[in-house]
Amino acid sequence: MLKIQEIRELIRLVDQSSLDEFKLQHDGLKITMKKNKSVVVNEQPVTKEVEAVASVAQPVTQPVEQATPSVEVQAQPKVEQVEAKEETSAVVDENLHKITSPMVGTFYRKPNPDAEPYVKVGDKVNSDTIVCIVEAMKLFNEIEAEVEGEIVEILVEDGQLVEFGQPLFLVKTN
Amino acid sequence: MKSNVRQALLDAFKHADGEYISGEKLAQTIGCSRTAIWKHIEELKKDGFQVEAVRKKGYRLVTPSNKLSEDEIYLGLQTETIGRSVYFYESVSSTQKIAKEYAMNGANHGTLIVADEQTEGRGRMVRKWHSPKGTGIWASFILRPDIQLQHAPQLTLLTAVAVVLAIKDVTNIIPEIKWPNDILINGRKVCGILTELQAEEDRIQSVIIGIGINVNQSTENFSDDIQMIATSLKIELEQTVNRTEIIQKLCYYLEQLLNLYISEGFPPIKRLWETYAISIGKQITARTLKGTFEGLALGINDEGVLLLKQANGEIIEILSADIEIK
Repeated sequence: MLKIQEIRELIRLVDQSSLDEFKLQHDGLKITMKKNKSVVVNEQPVTKEVEAVASVAQPVTQPVEQATPSVEVQAQPKVEQVEAKEETSAVVDENLHKITSPMVGTFYRKPNPDAEPYVKVGDKVNSDTIVCIVEAMKLFNEIEAEVEGEIVEILVEDGQLVEFGQPLFLVKTN
Repeated sequence: MKSNVRQALLDAFKHADGEYISGEKLAQTIGCSRTAIWKHIEELKKDGFQVEAVRKKGYRLVTPSNKLSEDEIYLGLQTETIGRSVYFYESVSSTQKIAKEYAMNGANHGTLIVADEQTEGRGRMVRKWHSPKGTGIWASFILRPDIQLQHAPQLTLLTAVAVVLAIKDVTNIIPEIKWPNDILINGRKVCGILTELQAEEDRIQSVIIGIGINVNQSTENFSDDIQMIATSLKIELEQTVNRTEIIQKLCYYLEQLLNLYISEGFPPIKRLWETYAISIGKQITARTLKGTFEGLALGINDEGVLLLKQANGEIIEILSADIEIK
C-alpha cells in the first residue's frame, strides 16, 4: 500500500512532468491524476500544484483510509488546505499575503487555553507581530506576520494539525 | 563571566587537578603579578571556594562549593561551545525570558542561562513549574544550529537524551524518557524540557531550550497535588546531588549529541532515544486539543513523531499531546 508521502511525491512528479493524465493500480489501490489545463494556463505555479492535489485527494483518501488509517490525520488538513487555497484564488487580486507554516505541527491561536487569541480577523499586524504558535514535540515556534497589514482571514482552527508550507492566515497588505 | 584573570586562574586549578600550584607559576601562566593572584584568590574564597594556601607549595583548590555560580560551572566544563558563555542569576522570572533577550542581542551559540530560583517557571501551554530556591537546575540554552527549521523539533528529543546521560553519569540512576521529552525516574517526573524557536523568513535565528531538573528537593518541597507525580534526584538517591556536575555533564552531552546530529542526522539520536524510552510498547493515553486517543505506542518515526495504534487497528501520528502511560 502506498503511503501518503509516496502519493504526494507522485503528485509532485506528475505535476512537474509534461503528462496530462496518470493512472496507477497497485495493491488494490487505484489512483488517477488529471491535470486541469485551463488552470495551468491561468494560475501561478503554486496554485497549480494544489489544484493537482484537489483532483486527486478525494478518490485517494477513501481506499487509503481503510487500509492505513494513519493517513486520515494527514489527509484531513490536506483537503482543508485545498479549500483554503480555492478561497485564496477567489480574492487573489486583492493583494493578499499568505502566512504559511514553516513546519508540520499543531496550530495554536492563543498562548494558553484561557488566553485571548494572538490575532483576530481585522487586527492590524506588522512584521514582528506574533500571529500564532505552531508546536511539534514540545518545540514552540512563534510565527511572526513578517508583513505589515490587516488579517482578513484565518484559514485553520485552533488545535488543528498543519503541514509544512500550509497557509495559515491571509493578510491584506498595502 | 567575571574577569579574565579569574577565568585563567580557574583554568589553572582545573589543570592542576587538586594539586598545589605555586603563586609564581600562577603569575607566570596568567601573566600578572603575584599580588594580583593573591587578590583574586581572596575573591574566590569570598565566593565560597575553599582554597588552601601552603608555604613553599602554593595554592590548591580543595572542593568546589555546592552553590551554583558561573565560575563553578566554568571550572569543570569539557566543551568547546555549549556553556562556554554562562550567566548565573540568583532569581529570575524565567530563564527562558532572559535567554530570549540574550538571543535577541546576539548571544553566541551555546550560551547558557542558569538561575537558582525561578518565580514564573512554566511548562507546556504556560503551565506553572515549581522552581524553589537552591534545589533544582533551571537553565536555558541558546542554540544556533545550522539545520532546516522543519527538523528543529528533533532537538527536543536530542535534549532528552542529553539529560538522561548527564543524570546517569553523575548519579548512576538510569532515567526514562516519556515522549517526547519528559524525564522520569520510577514513573515520576524529574525533568521537563520546553523549547522555543525564533525564525526569520523560515530560517532559524535561535532555538532556546529550557530545562528544569528537580535535583535536591525533598518530598515536602512538592505540593500535595504533584507529590505522586514528581520526584527529585535526592529523593531517588537518598543523598544530595551536586547541581554543578549535572550542568557540566549536560553541556558535554548536548555538545556531543549536537555534533553527532549535525554530522549523521537523526538516526543515531533516535536509537539513543529509543534505548531510554519508557512509553514504547505500552498502552498509553494521548490528550490533544482535538481529543483523547488511546492505544499502543508503537514507536517514533524518522521525524520523531509518535505512532499510536488504536484498538481498531488505526495507526495515528501524534505530534502534540500529553501522554499518560497506563
